[in-house]
Amino acid sequence: MTNALPSPETVVVISAFALIYMVVLLKKTLQGKFDLYDFLMLSMVAIIPAGFTLFPRLAYLVSHLTGVVFPFVVMFGALFLVVFAFMHNMTARLHRLERQNCALIQEQSLLALELKAKERGQPAA
Amino acid sequence: MGMGLTDTCSSDVAAPHAAAPRILLIIPCFNEEASIGGVLSEIAATGRHYHTLVVDDGSSDATSAVASCRSPVARLAQNLGIGGAVQTGIKYAARQDFDFCVQIDGDGQHDPRAVETLLNAYRMQPANITIGSRFIEHEGFCSTRMRRAGIRLIVLALNGLFGGGRITDPTSGMRLLDRSAIAFFAKAYPTDFPEPISLAWALRAGLTVSEVPIEMRARETGVSSIDGLKSASYMVRVLGYILLARLVRSR
Repeated sequence: MTNALPSPETVVVISAFALIYMVVLLKKTLQGKFDLYDFLMLSMVAIIPAGFTLFPRLAYLVSHLTGVVFPFVVMFGALFLVVFAFMHNMTARLHRLERQNCALIQEQSLLALELKAKERGQPAA
Repeated sequence: MGMGLTDTCSSDVAAPHAAAPRILLIIPCFNEEASIGGVLSEIAATGRHYHTLVVDDGSSDATSAVASCRSPVARLAQNLGIGGAVQTGIKYAARQDFDFCVQIDGDGQHDPRAVETLLNAYRMQPANITIGSRFIEHEGFCSTRMRRAGIRLIVLALNGLFGGGRITDPTSGMRLLDRSAIAFFAKAYPTDFPEPISLAWALRAGLTVSEVPIEMRARETGVSSIDGLKSASYMVRVLGYILLARLVRSR
């Protein structure tokens, strides 16, 4: 453990950033631009640094427990973990949407074809 | 001659059709206004009663207008790529209860007279998928040397991982699908690199594959989307997908 604690300026800057960022995120979530999962994952960018700044002793404890010398390495590690989890989920969602989009476009074209055939009074094939 | 590629088959291969089967020719097109008319004329000139479906894969030219005079056209609102376009045709074949479907490229590479060759091969030795292969007799347009080397690698991967036979032309788009294959691919068809990967999926699911020699021509219009560095990327990804297909359980 060490006595190197964040300065009051650091605490103010990080807290202000976290507050403003969370307000913006919350606003966008309420507008329906993000869902709750996105809100939680994106807010980690503010929550994790704020947690390390506001509770420095906890940060040192975590870094001590994980065997990492510097708490900021643990913080960036946690942030990377959140980002990768978010990316993983987003990629899966994107892939699903891509498949749904493809199926919808196919359906639309086949239904249009069927409709055209019906309008002409012919069987589709 | 068709070759049986798998000794056992978990799916049903229908008995050869005595009466005239209903055959759908699926013609995927992307900006093929210059060649699609000729392709449809060639099909008509075969004198066979083939049904056709042109799938316009989001063309920005007059492909649909040219084709719609002579064939039903399914117009995709957005370009889905060859896999999405072909699957549209396969879904149509499944819904309209066709006995067989065959893919004929809209760029004029495939000779519609070869459909009869595929059908004859099926009658002699029914298989769920009958591929028209350029590499059994090495006649006609056989692609560039570089690409043939790549195809050989895909062949090695497919035959090595799925065994049971010898596929020579896994990238050939000209293939006859029977009812089982139509039903299978209507549910799932790869969007990326569909020809070799669809074969891997089919073999994994226990569908049978055979081949028959056909001749192909150089495309009349347009250029291949797989050139230069893209070929290397294509190879790596196709091999990865084939390996993945081997590792994943059958759906």
